[in-house]
Amino acid sequence: MTDLSHIRNFSIIAHIDHGKSTLADRLLEECNAIEKREMEEQILDSMDLERERGITIKATAATLNYKADDGETYALNLIDTPGHVDFNYEVSRSLAACEGAVLVVDASQGVEAQTLANTFLATDAGLEVLPVINKIDLPSARPAEVKAEIEDIICIPAEDAPEISAKNGINIHAVLEMIVNGIPAPEGDRNAPLQALIFDSQYDSYRGVIVYTRIKQGTVRPGMDVKMMATGAVYKVVEVGTMSPKGLIPRDALGAGEVGYITASIKTISDTQVGDTITGVENPAAEPLPGYRPVQPMVYSGIYPADGAKYQDLRDALEKLKLNDASFVYEPESSIALGFGFRCGFLGLLHMEIIQERLEREYNLDLITTAPNVVYRVTKQNGETIMVDNPLDYPDPMEIELAEEPYVKVNLMAPQEYVGNIMDLATNRRGEFKDMVYLDANRVELHYDMPLNEIIYDFFDALKSRTRGYGSLDYELIGYRPSRLVKLDILLNGDIVDALSFILFADNAYPRARKICEKLKENIPRAQFEIPVQAAIGGKIIARETIKAVRKDVLAKCYGGDITRKKKLLEKQKEGKKRMRTFGTVSVPSEAFMAVLKLDED
Amino acid sequence: MPFITTRKNKTPLGIYVHVPFCRSKCQYCDFYSLTAKDDKLMDGYLNAIIAHIKESGALAPAYKVDTIYFGGGTPSFFGADGLATILSAIRRNFDVDYNAEITFEANPDSVSDTLLKRLKAEGFNRVSLGIQCADDEILKKIGRPHNYQQAVSAVQRIRKAGFKNLSVDLIYGLPGQTMVGWRETLESVLNLNPEHISCYGLKVEEGTPLYEYKDFCSLPSDDTQADMYLAACEMLRSYGFRQYEISNFARKGLYSRHNMKYWTGGEYLGFGPNASSDFAGKRFTIVRDLQGYIQGIRGNGEVLQEIDEIPLRERAGEYLMLRLRTMSGISRAEYEKAYLLPFDDIEASLEKSRSFGHAVKTDDGRWHLTPKGFLISNTIISDLLLIQDRSVQLQRFGK
Repeated sequence: MTDLSHIRNFSIIAHIDHGKSTLADRLLEECNAIEKREMEEQILDSMDLERERGITIKATAATLNYKADDGETYALNLIDTPGHVDFNYEVSRSLAACEGAVLVVDASQGVEAQTLANTFLATDAGLEVLPVINKIDLPSARPAEVKAEIEDIICIPAEDAPEISAKNGINIHAVLEMIVNGIPAPEGDRNAPLQALIFDSQYDSYRGVIVYTRIKQGTVRPGMDVKMMATGAVYKVVEVGTMSPKGLIPRDALGAGEVGYITASIKTISDTQVGDTITGVENPAAEPLPGYRPVQPMVYSGIYPADGAKYQDLRDALEKLKLNDASFVYEPESSIALGFGFRCGFLGLLHMEIIQERLEREYNLDLITTAPNVVYRVTKQNGETIMVDNPLDYPDPMEIELAEEPYVKVNLMAPQEYVGNIMDLATNRRGEFKDMVYLDANRVELHYDMPLNEIIYDFFDALKSRTRGYGSLDYELIGYRPSRLVKLDILLNGDIVDALSFILFADNAYPRARKICEKLKENIPRAQFEIPVQAAIGGKIIARETIKAVRKDVLAKCYGGDITRKKKLLEKQKEGKKRMRTFGTVSVPSEAFMAVLKLDED
Repeated sequence: MPFITTRKNKTPLGIYVHVPFCRSKCQYCDFYSLTAKDDKLMDGYLNAIIAHIKESGALAPAYKVDTIYFGGGTPSFFGADGLATILSAIRRNFDVDYNAEITFEANPDSVSDTLLKRLKAEGFNRVSLGIQCADDEILKKIGRPHNYQQAVSAVQRIRKAGFKNLSVDLIYGLPGQTMVGWRETLESVLNLNPEHISCYGLKVEEGTPLYEYKDFCSLPSDDTQADMYLAACEMLRSYGFRQYEISNFARKGLYSRHNMKYWTGGEYLGFGPNASSDFAGKRFTIVRDLQGYIQGIRGNGEVLQEIDEIPLRERAGEYLMLRLRTMSGISRAEYEKAYLLPFDDIEASLEKSRSFGHAVKTDDGRWHLTPKGFLISNTIISDLLLIQDRSVQLQRFGK
């Protein structure tokens, strides 16, 4: 075990694109954790999706052995964190595993929204935040001003912040020295009862679940019986060790202050919840570490195979994804329009998009996703209370005594010049203003109570666009409140398409119905006949659009030399139709379902 | 197959010769052609194509050539000598039916009396004249090297030379063209009394000059193009023309026998750069590059750029895609017998099209599309292809 004084646990935080993952790459290189020739960009982001979107979805960690200028060798544990409000809880647990954070700020962009939001998450967790100025080699770099900004806006000293270029490997050494000298060594008693914080887990088909953990107190060794304090699951530890980008390195024991992994032949990932505390069965800790919250999906939607024959494939794929993602839940459901599929629960809309994209890419599935919804609470006239996570289960209005929807407390943060825009946005989304606090001369925090339903669609995007990217957002569930809800049905050529039905606030029904009809009109291809698109509440039609019949779709010339090309064209057209679902007489492409989800590009 | 005659049990074969030379390039054209008048290159082309014909003739002893088509480019611009030389090479190396249909494409600016007389004597018996439009302003705009008066006089000379089978190519949906203008073109051309008329909706192809300024040259809308098409179908019908394919109209019996092969699964061999063949179960296309073709024939490099072996199941798709371009259409008997696939669901879909006035079932049980149906034939055919796909899957894997 490494002596506590020679351990540093840190994460890197930054606004998107300020160079977080690139700096991580350089640190790994500098400490020879990875050979140059094995280097690929964003090495800690192992999913293609992460590299492509330039985001980190799953937390990962690596131990770097760094020989510092003082001649000592330190174990630097870098914990990479996801960076989206959907994963705020996961981020907070990753940060809770650290004593410090390296804050990367772009030398030309300066302080931005996520710089603030992430810094606050880190300081809230009691972390020492150390700024570095990145992209110093860009012509537009203005390090001195940016340092002043950091001191003014975030109120942390930045005078000595290293000026670096992660991309070109300039001054990386200074960052490492800063980590060693600036971040406190962890504390803890290696003889105390075990308290290990789970900050992530991952499924491996040979070893079962690999739990990523930070030992806060005590020591864990192979052979020891351990218990997950929140879920109560008990396992015998098989292996412990540390992580490197090249793989897992087994060790004899992990002691307080260290970051590493534990395997224990764990079959079900839901036994190892992020934020839970692992303790010993013998000599258990008196209480778990603070901050644990059970996973609670916020958003539900139906996922169906575009080709009904692929149901089994979809089920297998969901099972495999679930192995790696304890926060994702699903159960089978069926729809008249779409056949057999699954009702899935997600942490938020990004989480939903990620799961969907992974299903499509990694498992090569074509999917149809229904509009996401929150969980409604309905009390019926007969006194029975039901939780509705599927619009199809929404009771007849006549049977409803009381309908309630979940509310969240929303914290919005932005420079003060955007306060007007934010207020407009929040009011439009049924936000109930609570208060406004000036954090400093420039920055403001606003508090609202708001229906969760209003933020799951695209609130984050809307906020970003109305604050030129400076706004940030956090929310937490505060309970259910009575609401006037209606179920909106969509009819194509006179037939209800059940998969397009959804529940919404009554006052929003008209505008939303109109928009949905417009979107469907744009996305459903013309057919040989005219197709009416209607929206209805109960039996009453409240909006209508018409998709005109196709008039001209012909290849005028088709002689010897044209046949191959035109055949391909028709094949393509046919393949497009293959991916469509037929409802009665109307074929609907899966994009139409997606388009309905993205209504708010005003 | 009512359109193709066989003699002595030999398989009928069409021959297409691509002549890639033009006086100038039209703004909308994406065919392979060269505009430089380069005698050396033309000689190279002639030698290559004759060598190619010689080599291929040996491979087709069991075929009888009943149609020959010289397209381009502008065959008439290439000149009578060249065309005659190629035709006699074909006659020397293939078994050409005495009654073969032999067509050459011509532009009004390159049909001299001498040329016509010579080609008639060589055995050419059909002329396809590219008139495109009767409005001189539009002709100029789209880069045609002639005006309408030249087209009128070309027709007179073609008749004088003794050609009894004349086809005229027209385009609708041209820049600045109106419905009234299009009707005037049709009327003018009908006055010339051709035996055959092809009417093509203008398609703006990427890579053509027109593509660059398509948004600034007042192209008629899709709706107008559709109206123009329906107007042409109606007008030509009233003048006694039979529509036998989406874009082709002919006096009784005078349809293009060569072109009909493309739509009815006939075999054909193509010569010259970018020419395509469907021969012995394979579909292949020659490189789109004259130098490459000449070199390839000499044994330096590839002659073909694309070879597809077409399996029976793809032929089943082609049957629907190509036959439904024609007025003779498709039938249950042909389909089930040739491809061993069920026709029921295809018929059900066609029934639906019929209810919208897009398809017709004739008394002898054949299905064909109506002019309105032709206009949206991609929509209809891709539906049928999807149905066919599903029936193949079902046959292969069961329910």
